[in-house]
Amino acid sequence: MIQSRRNFLRALPAITAGAALAPAPAIASAPGEDGGKHRWAMVVDVQKCIGCQACTVSCIMENAVPENSFRTIVSTYEVHQGGHSGTYMLPRLCNHCDQPPCIPVCPVGATFQRKDGVVVVDGDRCVGCAYCVQACPYDARFINHETGKADKCTFCAQRVDAGLLPACVETCVGGARIFGDLNDPNSKIRHLVDQNKMKVLKPEMGTQPHVFYLGLDERFQGRVDGAGTLWQPSGHGA
Amino acid sequence: MDSQIIEVLNVTRETAWLPWAVSYFFLIGLSYGSFMLTLPYFVFGRAQHEKLGRLALLGALACGLTAPVALLADLHGPGRFLNFYLHFQPQSWMSWGSFFIPVYLGGLLLYAWLALRGDFALRGQGGDSLPARLYRLAGCGGAASRRAISAAALLTLVGAVLVALYTGMEVMVVHARPLWNTPFLPVQFAATAFVGAIGLALLFNRLVGDRDAELETVLNRLLVLALAVVLTLGGGWLFVSMSGVSPAHSAAFNQVAGMPQWQLTAVWAVLATVLPMALALWRPASSGLITGLIAVHSAWMMRWTIFIGGQSIPKTGAGLYDYHLPLGADGLLGIVGTLGLWIALLLLLLEYLPWAGAAFAAANKTNALAANAIASH
Repeated sequence: MIQSRRNFLRALPAITAGAALAPAPAIASAPGEDGGKHRWAMVVDVQKCIGCQACTVSCIMENAVPENSFRTIVSTYEVHQGGHSGTYMLPRLCNHCDQPPCIPVCPVGATFQRKDGVVVVDGDRCVGCAYCVQACPYDARFINHETGKADKCTFCAQRVDAGLLPACVETCVGGARIFGDLNDPNSKIRHLVDQNKMKVLKPEMGTQPHVFYLGLDERFQGRVDGAGTLWQPSGHGA
Repeated sequence: MDSQIIEVLNVTRETAWLPWAVSYFFLIGLSYGSFMLTLPYFVFGRAQHEKLGRLALLGALACGLTAPVALLADLHGPGRFLNFYLHFQPQSWMSWGSFFIPVYLGGLLLYAWLALRGDFALRGQGGDSLPARLYRLAGCGGAASRRAISAAALLTLVGAVLVALYTGMEVMVVHARPLWNTPFLPVQFAATAFVGAIGLALLFNRLVGDRDAELETVLNRLLVLALAVVLTLGGGWLFVSMSGVSPAHSAAFNQVAGMPQWQLTAVWAVLATVLPMALALWRPASSGLITGLIAVHSAWMMRWTIFIGGQSIPKTGAGLYDYHLPLGADGLLGIVGTLGLWIALLLLLLEYLPWAGAAFAAANKTNALAANAIASH
């Protein structure tokens, strides 16, 4: 028993090195701007999320998100119903909408949508006016205190362009985040979207989000009607 | 089945439009409102409104020159404003605004100069000191023609209307915030701007002018009218919200109606409208200091409530975000600093601008020239 455990531990570095060298699993085709060949999207399987916040942390590490700011987070709720209590987890991030309301308001054209659907901010042009922050119906944008400019989830465009998965997807323990190309008929995400009844957040806004939720409770689809958050970051600003 | 939800963990999005934005919207509103109050005297030649015209011009200039500084501060990097002019975006109201502001302010400065040219020339009379020569230079030989003043006023008026339009529309088009996304909002901004401008004129009459009881009465009557418009707009907002005529307004109403802090805000807003109305009607010749203060306060509070209160409503999360006014540049210091700049500018204008003309210096015989100049247009 002890011997076998030692053997296992001894073999661990080899296993992890192998995993690191293995090709990226989900994005096989050429990355980057490609004339609209790809349409990146995400499916969040709510029932698989365990609320570990590994995605939150990996996003911060990958994208150098400043303290008390978040590009993604797993909103966590306590739900009491019919004498039972439970916890509800809802991963939130930029929805990379097809009709993103953050883009037309930008007074300098700093925020734009790439041909592969990813909504990004040109940091050189952004003036930090925060108009896009106001226009986003999902509270997905914020002003980065270190740059003084608009910041948001980019689906880890730098990783996707290099053929890798977004950091949050890579680190998701329960496999709740599925990322891929909707334009690829053989992709897992295409199958999932075609074969399941997907929901999006705030569909009435007409933004056509491209983060789809599997098993989303309607009570959490819009602004949540409940008691306010018990934890708030404190630090810069408000 | 009844369920109860408690948010255990979520991100609190900080207020992104800071008190700087409130200061800007407040000051630019006061400025274009004050500008309108200058028109009866300087453009239409109504001599009985000279004091009002001159005091209001002072207010329009002090507020108009301070406002863009607050706006630049909200950009988290003032030099970035250049990008507004390098990358025009016709679909963005804010982008249009960056062009409307210079139209208004450029027009206002031109208008103020032309309106006071006779007074500049007058102050430059006699003596060969540098200031006297500068005043003579600014005076350009005497009063400007009424046609020139009217043309500059028209340009400023166009700028003022465009600024009022863009500041209202910019906020109104934000669908993500139901409280802002109401067609009433731009009109409410404009109406409260006029209330603030009248309030400022009342305060100036007491603190800068010569406590003219007649002017105080006129302004208090005007204030009652402006407050009646604000009250009507508020009632209209409530009616279309509660009757369901306008889903956008109902969404705004439903978002805040059940919250005690918003109910308190509503009571506060009604009191801040009804109280100065009653006071202005009861003691029109002597209540100016109080009615003026409340009116200016109303204009500020309306904007504070819309911007800071509006941003404390989460778009997806439960409850409300807590807002505590930071003490630094993003909060109290920014507000006090803007006020300080406004006071400094006002003092400079009072000292170096021949704003008062003959109206506040009847003893000065040499002012006859200015009086004649004004009478000629």
